[in-house]
Amino acid sequence: MDFLNPVINGFAVVLEPTNLLYCLIGVVIGMLIGVLPGLGPAATIAILLPLTYNVEPVTAIIMLAGIFYGAQYGGTITSVLLRLPGEASSVVTVFDGYQMARQGKAGTALGLAAIGSFIGGTAAIIGLTFLAPIVAGFALDFGPPEYTALALLGILLVATISSGAKAKALIAAAVGLLLATVGRDIFTGQSRFTFGNLQLADGIDFVPIAMGLFGLGEILYNLEERHRAAKAPSKVSNVWPSRKDLKQASGSIGRGSLLGFFLGILPGGGATIASMASYAMEKKRAKQPERFGKGAPEGVAGPETANNAAATSSFIPLLTLGIPANATMALMFGALLIQGVTPGPQLVEQNPELFWGVVNSMYIGNILLLIMSLPLVGIFVKILRVRAAILAPVTALITLLGAYTINNSMFDVTLVVVFGIIGYLMKKFGFEPGPLVLAFVLGELLESSMRRSLLVFGGDPLGFFGRPISATLLIVFVLVALLPVIRSIAKRKFTASTLVTKPDIKEKV
Amino acid sequence: MKHFPTRRTVLGTASALTLLAMTACGNVAGGTTDSAEFPSGPVNLSVGQAAGGSTDLIARALAEGASQALGKPMPVVNKPGANGALATKEVAGKPADGHELVLLNASLITITPLAVSPDEAVNIDDLDVIAGLSQDDYVLVASPGSGFTSFEDVTAAGRNITFGTTGVGTGSQLAQTVLFKQADVKGTDIPFDSGKPALTAVLGNQVELATVQLGEAMPQIEAGKVAPLLVFSEDRNTFLPDTPTAKEAGYDVPVAQYRAVAAPKGTPQDVKDKLLAAFQEAFKSEAYQEFNKKNMLTPKEISGEEVVTEWKEYAAKYKELVEKYDISLSGNK
Repeated sequence: MDFLNPVINGFAVVLEPTNLLYCLIGVVIGMLIGVLPGLGPAATIAILLPLTYNVEPVTAIIMLAGIFYGAQYGGTITSVLLRLPGEASSVVTVFDGYQMARQGKAGTALGLAAIGSFIGGTAAIIGLTFLAPIVAGFALDFGPPEYTALALLGILLVATISSGAKAKALIAAAVGLLLATVGRDIFTGQSRFTFGNLQLADGIDFVPIAMGLFGLGEILYNLEERHRAAKAPSKVSNVWPSRKDLKQASGSIGRGSLLGFFLGILPGGGATIASMASYAMEKKRAKQPERFGKGAPEGVAGPETANNAAATSSFIPLLTLGIPANATMALMFGALLIQGVTPGPQLVEQNPELFWGVVNSMYIGNILLLIMSLPLVGIFVKILRVRAAILAPVTALITLLGAYTINNSMFDVTLVVVFGIIGYLMKKFGFEPGPLVLAFVLGELLESSMRRSLLVFGGDPLGFFGRPISATLLIVFVLVALLPVIRSIAKRKFTASTLVTKPDIKEKV
Repeated sequence: MKHFPTRRTVLGTASALTLLAMTACGNVAGGTTDSAEFPSGPVNLSVGQAAGGSTDLIARALAEGASQALGKPMPVVNKPGANGALATKEVAGKPADGHELVLLNASLITITPLAVSPDEAVNIDDLDVIAGLSQDDYVLVASPGSGFTSFEDVTAAGRNITFGTTGVGTGSQLAQTVLFKQADVKGTDIPFDSGKPALTAVLGNQVELATVQLGEAMPQIEAGKVAPLLVFSEDRNTFLPDTPTAKEAGYDVPVAQYRAVAAPKGTPQDVKDKLLAAFQEAFKSEAYQEFNKKNMLTPKEISGEEVVTEWKEYAAKYKELVEKYDISLSGNK
């Protein structure tokens, strides 16, 4: 079992006291921001990116990953207790979770959600453990043509699958691609859109864009909303679900794990879509669908399992291919780049400690979260009493200071402010910053890989189809591009759709 | 970073504040030109490349030794951008009191101007070079699928060869384009962002050849996964004694990456002397010598004047080569 050796070594990495501590810090922060409506995991990671600059790469990613999946747990708490989803991915949990709470079964709902999250997360980690080495086996077959096809597919999926208006997502993605062209053309040395400014000679850095759009933009946008004073519930008891409840929910936990796992891998997918899809599926499968919305345990267990499975499995495309599947993963990509680590098929081989350290930290993190979310629920709910008027200026200050420290550059701070304002306006007018940031990241990859491929092929675009991996990916690309057409034809045939009305929720990042 | 342990433990924001405060002190103290007091505060060593890269590591190894000799901290400040032009121009505009230094890459002076617009280029006369540091050699490697084991195989192939470079305006690009012209081999120049992806493309047979820095290529050469064909230094590299130089093979392309440390123009002579003495102290330290060995760097600890003369010679030589063979470093698309 040679292949298990690095996996076991990864556990040694996680169990180093520093890494354990950062894992704990990560999941606690994740839990907190999950509870707080407003800032989501992507915004938090954007704000905290510079703080990871001085720690080891593996430690940094362990902490950031903890924030991401920790938020999935935290978001549930307020959904159930206060009907206030802390997290976009917990919005569907409100429907049945809050009803359960009103029936005095708040503890059961939280317990089911926590157990489901744990199982979903663990299932996804196991999937990641076995899938990653397989992808890594192809590492050296991934050259410029393969990256071209992957980047194309990624951008298309991000723009078409992401929640919210498709046209707006496409516009945001186009702006992202445009921003990616700023800077010196790496093939000719020509300056593009730099306006003679030496600061722009290497293009716009990813981190200030992310910090501005997600961090500052989100803070500004939240200032507009007046949060109602949250009343902490009196007491949460019976967090351990009864055997009957567990039995009732076990099927939905199993289905949620699987569904979440696959939706998480898909570029443009992620926790929010997974939780919605799982809710829809549970309702469709149920013998008495009318119970849904009135406190059905499956309606909590399924989506909560799925969002955690998706949160974990979305690391797969990033860590194995270097393609971020969603906005949060784009930030992880940025974090790795800051650390001088380029994620891609080589990562597992060249940096086994990092790869397996991060993957295995998720087991530990999930156990920590399970412990925290069951007995400690009451403490986290108290956080809701912190007023936005105090929180916002503090986070804004941390963002700006952090932006300075990365490159010791005031120009970066200016960029954060500019992109913060853009991010605020985008949110206000219903544009998601996610597709912009992802297209920005993938745009650079797309342009350079495509031009490099064409040089290798001697300018013949058919060369892309001469290589098995790139040919397959391009065929998938064409299929996905044609999917809406096929779907609209299909829709005309079956006009009477009985699917649940998909709640109109904008992805909060 | 070791002499500055708080930066690792304290959160980034705090370190920024510290750094800001220290920079401020340095500037205030730097107002006096009474060089007898030098150094009156920390000496900042700016690096135009990101943390973790080879240039950054050299700066940190040097700063560790020199700060001990000076008795003041020497924080390394990374300011990546425009191949290092950003950091260099910024330091050139700082007060010439010896508290602001920059680590220079020769390619910024000798090669980059051949590829970019004049306002992105740096003139070495805007700086006082304190000391030369080391030489980082380029090696031409061949992919496993190409079957090349020597440069004669390449010239004998009689077909178009794809070669990866570490980017536009780098020594890697210049060395290969000139070599191919001299050897009359047709080749397609494929620029990558840095040495690592170029080497990966060679390993994966996406390109047939690439020229990367020796320290990067060495693990793969030792593992037998890529074949070293030539080194571009004037003499054989001690770390790769069996690989011929381009000169031995009959080509005139002396390209290597040299590094030096410089201060703003007009720094008082006694300040420069003190800095030089501190650097020489660092050169002698076992840790620094070990660092050079580990990273396959050949020490080239020459005086500042020699650095300026040599680099100007190289700049002129490269310009002449490029014009002679009608090569445009930015023009093949």
